[in-house]
Amino acid sequence: MTAYIIRRVLWGILLLFLVSLLTFLFFYIFPAANPAQLRAGRNASPAIIAYITKELGLNKPVYTQFFDYMKGIVLHFNFGYSYYSGASVIGLIGNRLPATLSLTVGAVLLWLLMGIPVGVISAVRRRSAVDRTAMGTALLFVSMPVYWLGLIVLFLFASDIGKFPILPGASSYVGLTVSPTKWFTSLLLPWFVLAATEAAIYSRLLRGSLIEVMGEDYIRTARAKGLPERRVVWHHGVRSAITPVITVLGLDIGALLGGAVLVETVFDIPGIGRLNYDAILHSDIPIVQGTVLLAAMFIVVANIVVDIAYAYLDPRVRYS
Amino acid sequence: MSVGADLVLESEATVESVELVPDEVTARSPFQLFWRRFRSDRVAMASAIFIIVLIVVAIAAPLIVSVLGLPGPNVNNTNALDIFGSPSGPSVSHPFGVDELGRDVLSRTIYGARVSLVVGIFGTLIAAVVGTIVGLLSGFYRGWTDTLMMRTVDVFLSFPVLVLGLGIGAACGVRGCLSGLIQPGIATVIFIIALLSFTYIARIVRGQVLSLREKEFVEAARSLGASNTRILFREILPNLIAPLIVYSSLLIPTNILLEAALSFLGVGIRPPTASWGQMIADATPTFNTAWWYMVFPGAALLLTVLAFNLMGDGLLDALNPRGTRS
Amino acid sequence: MRTFARSAVIAVAAVVLAVAAAACGSSSSSSGSATATIPLKAGENPSSEVLYGKKSGGTLTAYSSIDFEHLDPGQTYFALDYIVVPNITQRPLFTYPPNSTTQLVPDLATEIPTIANGGITDGGKTVTVHIQPNVRFSPPVNRAVTSADVAYGIERGANPNVANPYFAGYFGSASPSPLEGAESAKYAGGPIPGIQTPNSTTIVFHMTKPGSTTLINALSLATSSPVPESFAGPLDKHSPTTYGSQYLVATGPYMIQANNTTGQFAGIGYQTGKSLTLVRNPNWSASTYTSAYRPPAYLNQINVKIGGDATVAGLQVLKGSDSVQLDGATHTNVKLAYQSYPAQMTITPGVGTWYAALDNAHGVFTNVNLRKAFWAQLDRAAIVKVTGGPLVGEPMTHFIYPGNAGFLQAGGYPGPQVDYNKDVNGNHTVACKYMKLAGYPSCTYTGSQTVQVVGGTNGDFPAWTQVVNSGLQALGFHTHVSLVDQSVLYAKYCGVPKQEIDVCPNVGWIRDFADPLSILYVPFYGPAIVPTNNSNWGQVNIPQVNSAMEQAALVVDPAARAQAWANVDKLLVDYAVAAPEYFSNQPELMSSDVAGVNDQWNQGSWDFAFTSLKNP
Repeated sequence: MTAYIIRRVLWGILLLFLVSLLTFLFFYIFPAANPAQLRAGRNASPAIIAYITKELGLNKPVYTQFFDYMKGIVLHFNFGYSYYSGASVIGLIGNRLPATLSLTVGAVLLWLLMGIPVGVISAVRRRSAVDRTAMGTALLFVSMPVYWLGLIVLFLFASDIGKFPILPGASSYVGLTVSPTKWFTSLLLPWFVLAATEAAIYSRLLRGSLIEVMGEDYIRTARAKGLPERRVVWHHGVRSAITPVITVLGLDIGALLGGAVLVETVFDIPGIGRLNYDAILHSDIPIVQGTVLLAAMFIVVANIVVDIAYAYLDPRVRYS
Repeated sequence: MSVGADLVLESEATVESVELVPDEVTARSPFQLFWRRFRSDRVAMASAIFIIVLIVVAIAAPLIVSVLGLPGPNVNNTNALDIFGSPSGPSVSHPFGVDELGRDVLSRTIYGARVSLVVGIFGTLIAAVVGTIVGLLSGFYRGWTDTLMMRTVDVFLSFPVLVLGLGIGAACGVRGCLSGLIQPGIATVIFIIALLSFTYIARIVRGQVLSLREKEFVEAARSLGASNTRILFREILPNLIAPLIVYSSLLIPTNILLEAALSFLGVGIRPPTASWGQMIADATPTFNTAWWYMVFPGAALLLTVLAFNLMGDGLLDALNPRGTRS
Repeated sequence: MRTFARSAVIAVAAVVLAVAAAACGSSSSSSGSATATIPLKAGENPSSEVLYGKKSGGTLTAYSSIDFEHLDPGQTYFALDYIVVPNITQRPLFTYPPNSTTQLVPDLATEIPTIANGGITDGGKTVTVHIQPNVRFSPPVNRAVTSADVAYGIERGANPNVANPYFAGYFGSASPSPLEGAESAKYAGGPIPGIQTPNSTTIVFHMTKPGSTTLINALSLATSSPVPESFAGPLDKHSPTTYGSQYLVATGPYMIQANNTTGQFAGIGYQTGKSLTLVRNPNWSASTYTSAYRPPAYLNQINVKIGGDATVAGLQVLKGSDSVQLDGATHTNVKLAYQSYPAQMTITPGVGTWYAALDNAHGVFTNVNLRKAFWAQLDRAAIVKVTGGPLVGEPMTHFIYPGNAGFLQAGGYPGPQVDYNKDVNGNHTVACKYMKLAGYPSCTYTGSQTVQVVGGTNGDFPAWTQVVNSGLQALGFHTHVSLVDQSVLYAKYCGVPKQEIDVCPNVGWIRDFADPLSILYVPFYGPAIVPTNNSNWGQVNIPQVNSAMEQAALVVDPAARAQAWANVDKLLVDYAVAAPEYFSNQPELMSSDVAGVNDQWNQGSWDFAFTSLKNP
């Protein structure tokens, strides 16, 4: 098991390197705009643009630029500076990370809490009214674009502009250390919006997977042994059926931690998503690289956790 | 279906389907049984019919629009806007109201079915095919094949959507990239969607194959001398159909929604083509006033999503009659 | 590119137009006449704003969906930056009071230089400015401002680490009347012989040509704010300079909250993408101004919240308290405010122009008759409508916009009465006449070239790009429409001549200062075309226009100068260099307990030094 984990970690590091390289090449092949030009401003003379290009190191061949970048990270833990503002990438990301973490963790917990019971009930009471209603509602939410749902929720429930003012609205986010109560209440609406649009996916996955599993022989055996149905369903059925859910969960967490730009914009939460979005449009490659690496790192970690969980849940997988 | 399951199925089905006609006891093929079960699920049937109707509507959109006497989907009409430039709501001449350019929303919703269906179905189809191949090979052969494929999938998965979508949109937005190979528009959207979704399918298929290859019927087939290819196609692949259908039926609406998200980021369908995703993105700034502009394409989207999901459920149930007992 | 703008106090008749058509249901009037109108309600026209006698104290919250770009006065360019830099944290030599768009007043200076007071000499080639003696920098510099600081503030603009976007065009190699010693494109910072400081409160500018009018106007830009060389010099050696991105000192009534020992504000008063906090400058004194302009600085603090959705923020401002929105009101909020919160919205007229740039140098629109045909065909009234109706703009009929010298001489609102300009709803018959002249007797383009159209994805841009597209298609052009984000639009496509984009429907212009030169020169002067970051989007290069501009730039008498530039405007119309769309107005929102004051010379944006709370 330890060897397994070590192998996965090593691969994770290699993966980060590959992702970084891919991002670099991607921007080289598909540049949104020339960052030196953007910095230079209106009517800049070619001389000024050439000067800025040299200062940013953009006149060097792409492999030299990449090598310098990697050297900076490995030797000095320096992720570079924004082409546009000169601010340190690590500083910018560190500043925004807590908000993204808060948003992601809460949303994930909420959608698991919402999605799993709905998925189980729908599987157990197939084709019943409960199944149809629960699934219908879940699908209603998943069909809504997350940005639109965010706006509607603000318009209905925000304490400053909503029709039924009960929860803090946009721009109300504060850090956990500043005021835990305010932090919590300001995140309730964003958590709900994110969770609602994801929960349906998980409940459907679980439903499908559970239906299949419940048809297995060992379920029949468990029932024949006289175990209560609830134990059969949860302890035996869900335990096996949860594997695809965990697979997808790992990927989604990793992606979310890269920044949920739409939710962050609607609720004005200062997270990584918006930072990333603006940086892409400005071809501010150091920031994009930093956020991409961060997101990739989370995905790698999430995948390692998922793989370990997989091995734990299904012993047949572990030792191959 | 596994061999063992077949036997059980047929015996059950035989019990269900014997009619009291003397001297005549007919066995039914698995497909007939499946169809019978699917047919008996009214909700699933209704969904399937809805989807067929939707496909017909999409194909016959020009005819339907002219029969209903509506203006075309790209006809601007600023006279239908009020003095503040706000669109007017449902009326006799515009049953679904108009959008911010005065274009008829009903007409655009009908035409929008084309884009959403094409993007959803083809994107998912490509993703499913590629994902299944990758997952099948890596889950079955393990070893280096598995490592290589899954690691490549890992790299794809770790590469953020936003960078890909925005980057391509910004860089290739006007004249395309790679000497015109990547043109913005429906082809790029399908490409991006397939690129993003095949990985999910690959991972899940792989997981399923990992479990399946250890099952008794595979061992049995192997002990009978079946080759790897035979096992892959005759034993494992058929058992993947059910989860593939479930996940694809989930993926189609997800991909239709992904097209909407890409429209938000500006990488969507080239305007002025109507697509539900683009319409919803355009309607968002007026979310609290011009409700019709959002609701009607949104309802169309929701119904399509519901239909695909319920039909997928029905398919799954019909393939998997055993299962939970209440 | 939009810089900052100043709107006009024009004749009341121009703003409160004819009685409005009825509300919903009735649409734009029949062809041939102007669009319907909406009367402004009480308080919505900022021309009647009260500047003095308000209450002091309190904290104002300001919402901006976009982030600041350059807080360094040597780099300040975008409209949002102009809200916090000139007059608020920095003091340029001259400025405009909030309720005027044309009246230049001294800020850091003691008076406006004229021939009469000896400020303009040598036939207009030398300008002498005296500055207030006791203006002090904020901590940590603390000392009094000298003329050398003003000189350094201007000179550093040519340093590539600062890269002031105005330097070349108004002071340097691309200017019609450059400062002595800065004429060469090779000049890259360092003392300019043409700027002399005989004593600590006097600056003398020497030019090679009589460009005093242009220079005095250009000195109202933020770049004439003093910058201490001892403090900023080392910072200006970084690329980009860290003065303005990490460290800053202020001379205005407010400063960005900073570490008062080091002057670092980044991470303290400014968090990128999150917030900006303005506090009172402890070294500021209200007595260091002339009576012509004296900011009262009522507020104690201003908190700017950055990010979020502009429509949501507008609603928060309308329904909340102690807040203003820095973005212009969005389309739905304009209607909502007009109908339900009329006292909380101001609409500043004549803020700038929006037009469709046509590539004069490549493609189909090298043919002047095709340009005229498209001008005639384009439904400008429809564009006004889809962007918000008569409250937010008027159809554009020529290139100098309302509130500027030369506007009336160039034709006012109706504009030159050439046949392709007369009908703002578009006139297909007239368009056909020019199509025939262009060699397409069937009134349909039959050539093989595709017309590349690149518009923006933000706000109403997509909608009005569609109106432009319809106009093109009605004449038979094969169009290829793309929408990209606004920053990419300028940086990668429309601002790069090599891309040969035929139509850029979403470009516009706001003047740099109150002189028609700053409206017409950069966007339409041939030699101003540069290979990247180009602002002459249509690549207009007409020798007759170029020489007319060069001559008009050197006219000193105000009336003659206005007429000279109006003549340039008429030439631009005659050559149909671009297809005009609309003269824009700017709607701004404030909470019910805010006594907001708009800078009419800066797009009607809120002036923090004159705005106050009703109940602080």
